[in-house]
Amino acid sequence: MSSSKLPFATVLKWPALASVAVLGLSGCTVANTDDGGAAAATDSVRVVLSQEPPTLEACESNLTSTGVVVRSNVTEPLIERNPQSGELEPKLATEWKATSDTEWTLKLREGVNFQDGTAFNAEAAAFTIERAVNSKLGCNVEGYVFGDADLAVKAVDATTLTVTTPEPDPILPLRLSFLEVVPTSTSSTEKVREPIGTGPYKIDTWDAGQKITLSSWDGYWGDKPAYAKAEYQWRSESSVRAAMVTSGEADVAMGLSPDDNIGDLGVDYPNNETVALRMDANEAPLNDIRVRQAVNFAIDKEGIVSSLYQGKHQVAAQLVPEGIVGHNSELKGWPFDLDKAKSLVAEAKADGVDTSAQISLVVRSAQFPKITELAQVLQEQLSQAGLNVKLKMLETSQHLTYQVRPFPEDEGAVALMTQHGNQAGDAAFTVDQYMLSTGAQSYFGTPAFDAMIKKADAASGDERKKEFENIFAYQNDKVVQFAHISHQTGILGLAKSLSYKPNSSSGDELRISEMTPAS
Amino acid sequence: MLIYLRKRIVSSALPLVVVIVGVFALARMTGNPASLYLPLNATQQMRDDFTARNGLDQPLLVQMTDYFGGVLRLDFGQSLRTGQDAAAMALRAFPATLQLAATTMVLAVVLALVVGCWAALKPNGIADRISSFISMAAASIPDFWLAIVGIWIFAITLGWLPTSGVSGASAWVLPIATLLLRPFGVLVQIVRGSMVSALSEPYIKLARSRGAGELRVVTHHALRNAAAPALTVAGDLTVGLVNGAVVVETIFGWPGIGKLMIDSILQRDFAVLQAAVLLTAVAIFALNILIDMGYALLDARVRPVTVKA
Repeated sequence: MSSSKLPFATVLKWPALASVAVLGLSGCTVANTDDGGAAAATDSVRVVLSQEPPTLEACESNLTSTGVVVRSNVTEPLIERNPQSGELEPKLATEWKATSDTEWTLKLREGVNFQDGTAFNAEAAAFTIERAVNSKLGCNVEGYVFGDADLAVKAVDATTLTVTTPEPDPILPLRLSFLEVVPTSTSSTEKVREPIGTGPYKIDTWDAGQKITLSSWDGYWGDKPAYAKAEYQWRSESSVRAAMVTSGEADVAMGLSPDDNIGDLGVDYPNNETVALRMDANEAPLNDIRVRQAVNFAIDKEGIVSSLYQGKHQVAAQLVPEGIVGHNSELKGWPFDLDKAKSLVAEAKADGVDTSAQISLVVRSAQFPKITELAQVLQEQLSQAGLNVKLKMLETSQHLTYQVRPFPEDEGAVALMTQHGNQAGDAAFTVDQYMLSTGAQSYFGTPAFDAMIKKADAASGDERKKEFENIFAYQNDKVVQFAHISHQTGILGLAKSLSYKPNSSSGDELRISEMTPAS
Repeated sequence: MLIYLRKRIVSSALPLVVVIVGVFALARMTGNPASLYLPLNATQQMRDDFTARNGLDQPLLVQMTDYFGGVLRLDFGQSLRTGQDAAAMALRAFPATLQLAATTMVLAVVLALVVGCWAALKPNGIADRISSFISMAAASIPDFWLAIVGIWIFAITLGWLPTSGVSGASAWVLPIATLLLRPFGVLVQIVRGSMVSALSEPYIKLARSRGAGELRVVTHHALRNAAAPALTVAGDLTVGLVNGAVVVETIFGWPGIGKLMIDSILQRDFAVLQAAVLLTAVAIFALNILIDMGYALLDARVRPVTVKA
């Protein structure tokens, strides 16, 4: 009987052998990890992000996931914008002034070195601008901040730099605040994954897929930060990020929502993001301003803010929140008035507008917390006003085809859910994209409106503020491309052991040097 | 055996090619990744440069020929997202998935054999009912929900395990427990079914009448007949796990191939997606052949026994 037996053990042999072999190769750690269970070090800040940065390249640092690690931790700009006051402040440049209509002259800080030991000077500053703005690298910052305008830069002497623009540009210093300075040894033909900078921290290790660590750099020109190390991990589930803070596995969790059970470890901060519907005015029924007004009246913004977002958001009346140059504090959100919405739709119908034509409500899945619920509420509310709305949930790449030129054709009327963040602090970065008739994200515009925008772009000081305020009022009055919903609030999870005060730029630039152990 | 092996290799290679061509073409039909990689207000010139730089302006057939040429030279291209070698990224992620899948399956098979046999001893008895309930529940609970509940109970409330990550042995518990339930549930039912029918065979009665103990009857006599179907199903379930425990890897931040694939799809990172799919397809191809071989082996040995009985 025993000669031909096939016992239990044999049946299990091959899968068991396979797994023993696989596990045996690496003990009990996951392949390619060298971490056998590092305990939390008290001299280290552990941050959990929503995604791994694709790169730490300095000229891509206006990408949220890159900038949050790199900006002002590893690299630094010439000039920085104070997120509280909105004023520009010196960083690697100590002063700057317009020396003609199109020329700016900057004085640079002395005694600053890069992490590779080379000196920071006007040559490095000029190289940084050439590399990010004038090269063929296709840097994100180029399109986002500088458009296709090339700049002429000249290192006059070691600490003096001139920058010349093709057209007068009153906010050039603000634009320069987006450039993170790198040494001339950086490749100008290829992007680099790990930059060298002048910041308080340098990149230690990057275990792809797992974590990035920074350590404080002894040669830093400024104050020594309180923490010797920073460690970044990433988890795509926001509830997991929150749980990491509550269970003591992380000190800071980014991008939480009110539902993440973060309790009193959650800290609110204004993140400068605004949610709105952008309407396509070329197709019926949205090509009639009364229908676009009806959309605005039909949305119960107060209800959405209080029920979906637990009152943490604010009803919006324009694309930029308070604190951005050009924000018009006189504007009030459209009141919720369903009867008015219905009568406007009926009026349009009576005039021959096909109000039964389908409107595609195009929404990007997981773009921000509760977006699906918000989309369903909007669909319901617009339907109540007598409109025929179909909800289209798309992923990022598909959504982008609706968001940016060239727009898809033959789609019929589109109402696109937009989340716009103005991190630059000046309305020009919003208006040029969303309202100019040639704007990358604009469905329409008029020559008269374009002229107003161009005038505002060229203005400076109080006049600039006034011009942009007028533009937001004009859009609500005469154009109605948008139905604004809310200004969002960001939530950061913060361990009790650590003290940090987030501000409106924390979502894009999380400065480890501003964190201290709680006393 | 060798002829059979050769036949299996040839017949499985064709689907492999179809999968690769399919992924290549489908990925490109989802659109140009330029909009994802360039700033929103990039100029047309920047878009054209990007498209040309990445060879996306070429006709699909030319792109595909280039790709296969590259594959023959073991050059899988570069990641659009990270600029790294696509094959290196896939190879780095794969062992993490394989370890998770293998450990999960070994545990699932062992547990299922024990519970399945226990249930089969007295059909419709209490043990059978309990195990039937547990296995049905285990096979039907969604992993996403289970993962979150697991984190909530064991990491936050009790503080016994880390929420996620890959550091230390305790980090394996929740991902494996989450992945384990479905294969366990399915296998228990299979083992129980085939054990019940095996235990009613005449040769079992014969063995019992000869005074063999119950444990010996189950492990030495009945299980060998009941093992084959369970092994086949276990093989299929392993394929599913290797194919990427996407949800589990995503939630627990496990740096495996499933997460890499999802990220590459969402980021239109064609080269990485192709490398990851190719690697997974080859692994599944190899695994399938192993399963077939194992089954043939088992069959060949089992047959004389049944004849004898």
